[in-house]
Amino acid sequence: MTMETTPQTGTAASSLSAGGASGGASVRLDGLTRRFGTVRALDGLSLNIAPGELVALLGPSGCGKTTALRLVAGFDFPDAGAVLIDGTDISRIPAAKRGMGMVFQSYSLFPNMPALDNVAFGLRMRKIGGTERRQRAAELLDMVGLSAQAKQYPHQLSGGQQQRVALARALAIEPRVLLLDEPLSALDAKVRLQLREQIRTLQQRLGTTTLFVTHDQEEALSMADRVGVMNKGQLEQIDAPDELYARPATAFVAEFVGVMNRIPGVLESPEAVRVLDVVVPVKGSSSSVAGSSMVDVLVRPEGLIVDVTENGNGIVTTRTFLGSVTRLGVLLSGDVRIRVDKPSTVAASIPPGTSVSVTLPSAPVLVAPPAS
Amino acid sequence: MDQTATAPEPVTGSGAGPVPADQAGTASTVTEVVRWLRRVAGVVPFAAYLALGMLIPMIAVIIGAFRADNGSFTLSNVKMATHGVYLHGYWESISLSIWASVLPAIFGLLIAYAIFTAKRGSVLRQLVITTSGVFANFGGVPLAFLFIASLGSGGLLTGWIQDIFPHSWDGSQLYTLSGIVLVYMYFQVPLMVLVILPGLEGLRTSWREAAENLGATSLQYWRHVGGPVLLPTFMGCLLLLFGSSLSAYATAEAMTSGTIALTSIQIGTFINGNVLAGEVNVGKALSLGLVLIIAVAMAFYVILQRRASRWLR
Amino acid sequence: MAPVTRPVINPVPGARRSFPLFKAGLWRWVILIVAGMYFLLPLYAAIRFAGIKAYGDLIGASGFTSALWLSVRLAIITTLITLALMLPTTVYVHLKLPGLRRLLESLTILPIVIPPVVLATGLLQVAPASLKNTPYILALEYVVLAMPFAYRTIDAGLRALDLKTITEASSSLGAGWTRTLTQVVLPNLTTALLAATVLTVAMVLGEYTISSLALYTTFPVWLVTNDQSSATVTVAGSVFALFITWLVLLIITVAGTRRGRRTGRQVSLFTVARQDNRG
Repeated sequence: MTMETTPQTGTAASSLSAGGASGGASVRLDGLTRRFGTVRALDGLSLNIAPGELVALLGPSGCGKTTALRLVAGFDFPDAGAVLIDGTDISRIPAAKRGMGMVFQSYSLFPNMPALDNVAFGLRMRKIGGTERRQRAAELLDMVGLSAQAKQYPHQLSGGQQQRVALARALAIEPRVLLLDEPLSALDAKVRLQLREQIRTLQQRLGTTTLFVTHDQEEALSMADRVGVMNKGQLEQIDAPDELYARPATAFVAEFVGVMNRIPGVLESPEAVRVLDVVVPVKGSSSSVAGSSMVDVLVRPEGLIVDVTENGNGIVTTRTFLGSVTRLGVLLSGDVRIRVDKPSTVAASIPPGTSVSVTLPSAPVLVAPPAS
Repeated sequence: MDQTATAPEPVTGSGAGPVPADQAGTASTVTEVVRWLRRVAGVVPFAAYLALGMLIPMIAVIIGAFRADNGSFTLSNVKMATHGVYLHGYWESISLSIWASVLPAIFGLLIAYAIFTAKRGSVLRQLVITTSGVFANFGGVPLAFLFIASLGSGGLLTGWIQDIFPHSWDGSQLYTLSGIVLVYMYFQVPLMVLVILPGLEGLRTSWREAAENLGATSLQYWRHVGGPVLLPTFMGCLLLLFGSSLSAYATAEAMTSGTIALTSIQIGTFINGNVLAGEVNVGKALSLGLVLIIAVAMAFYVILQRRASRWLR
Repeated sequence: MAPVTRPVINPVPGARRSFPLFKAGLWRWVILIVAGMYFLLPLYAAIRFAGIKAYGDLIGASGFTSALWLSVRLAIITTLITLALMLPTTVYVHLKLPGLRRLLESLTILPIVIPPVVLATGLLQVAPASLKNTPYILALEYVVLAMPFAYRTIDAGLRALDLKTITEASSSLGAGWTRTLTQVVLPNLTTALLAATVLTVAMVLGEYTISSLALYTTFPVWLVTNDQSSATVTVAGSVFALFITWLVLLIITVAGTRRGRRTGRQVSLFTVARQDNRG
């Protein structure tokens, strides 16, 4: 199956990139603001996307990421700020004339058209002749591996297939920018994983600048060149996935991306904090917690040192096997519950009830105001 | 697990399957029938009631349509029912029903679209839906009197209109075909609003946005996506409105006394009017005709529906 | 390159609407105002026409009370028979014969499609004289007309309920059949049953065709016959009928919004709308 389709896939892609001037456009969001009543859904969002880059906007629901996407697509218009494509302000151009391909959350295929006609729709609106239209649509369907389903209606396709058709439909118009609005959120885990890889491969092959909106951090981190974390209408941090995980700029980012422990500590100085009976440097500045010496120290489950000892400062309460690592739930004195990851081979000898000592390496840590 | 679950299957299969008519096979067929009867027993009261209350009267109508006064078989009822004033009655009924379904369908769609595009959960929307519920339900005799009192000769609105445009509406027009269409719209339009609204709401925002995103104008969206998707629902509503006005009786009777020949009224006169000898069963032939018209309309609907909703199956 | 805070860019007027076909929503108000005039003016005119006094006369008018009382009695009997027939049938089909649901749905469409005047013709032909001599023949036939409403509302209620899971859960907890039905299923169906009741009552109170052809003076028939004696009282009666309809629907809406599933609600509105046929 794969053996058979791979060569065709290659031709389809090359003929497409040869025929189209799509490639990568640069996108610039400049101080985008959108108010709904008194709520600022977007509050001065500025962001640059390089040609061919895939940027994911990640954040909890209501953080403004979808609003941002809709402003770029032209379904909504900003109260202030501008969207620039290759340096041209397109804020006033209606959605139909922006030439952006969008993949929606789900059920966006036109139910009255078979897959092929769905893919060809954008070309039809561009008055491209029937033969050429069908041929190009067929190429795109082939590219997403759905040639056999060309004549099927959306309700005859599985959720994953529908989203692949939607992707082909968005790519058919050789969009200057590809917009993905949580395209995988309605699919089951396995399909989601496959489609994730397929989207990324296609995007890289075609070099289409892509803005991707999701609330699933794993999705964002695994697919994007850069991930922007949004909170309350503002961009908290935008960075490469590994940077974001290893060096979160704010407590919000730290806790939103990956698992994070909060352990109470006391600031000894603006640059140092005492936690678990050791003093460690504070990363960045402690200005966010100014005015209080009581703070929470943020540490990842793999960033803690755990040793089995008699009369340690903690007791293992739970043990969850996660594959190569095992997550231990530890109850520290003062009723603080934390999670610690150990290699599964090591954790095998630490059953619940074991007394352990938990401490930190002397690497810099993030601090946050204590949780209420 | 799986095996224990599937194990009994072949056993039943060999027992009830297509075994030649040997004794074992007959016995199991009998038990099958008994088992089936026992399962169906729960719907027997319902089926019996439906048979007594609907099926038998219908059969009586069909048989009666072909019977002479003395009970012998005849085609004269049918012949009479398809000629002269009765044939005319069918045409009047059909044309009234077409007008009184197409016009309300269009106006109802407009109103439904107006509230569909209004904000979800807004007062306006709630108001229109509730009011539609009341007015769609308000047919029959009271409706006729409502219009006679307002737009009939001497009606209050007729007076107003006369004051402004002296030689336009004097109330007599109310009893013409177009006047009756005007009255029927009073329940047909809200009925349309109620039945088309779920269809409109079934049009997903993402379809419109996707079309827009791919470069379609509003008109192109309705032509290629919105229209085709809504069409089967719209046709169903049209059929409903057609049937509803074809069988309307009370409003028609109160308003058309003698002015317009409508089949449903003609049938009524045969039930307790003074029927001439030899015409006792003409009413049944007329009834049969009315049922056939509905059947034809439904067949039309089914065929069109099939073509319009290929994509649903 | 510095992030300049731009002045508020306001798109061209109306551009915020994605489809500029109908700008500003003016068309919506035109349609709704025209519709509002069409629906409310005749009502206003009728109320004015009748005058206040007519409403008092209505109650004293000869035959009014007995006609209304007959309609009410018929409504009660019809409702009781309909529920007694349709509730067990629908529940049974849901649980034991789900394959029959489609058939039942089509069967219960028939009373809607067949014009009542045709049904009346057949009924008066076959009914034995003893039955024709009592007005309760109407109730018996009205049950047939009420079946579509009853089936649809109860069916919608049951679908919202996930009957199979509920009965299985109940029997797994050791409840017997009757117990399950009376203590688990019924309490969850109150909205559907109320809707079915109210629709049936509304249908019976408005039914004219069959009762007039069978020569029984129900309330709608009385309105017509009374027209000869006093037009204003008749119009007052019509407004009264509209008020009753409105009241009945209000009950459904309130009951429906209090604990209604969307499906049940839609179906009930739909079936309400079907009632005009009978008028």
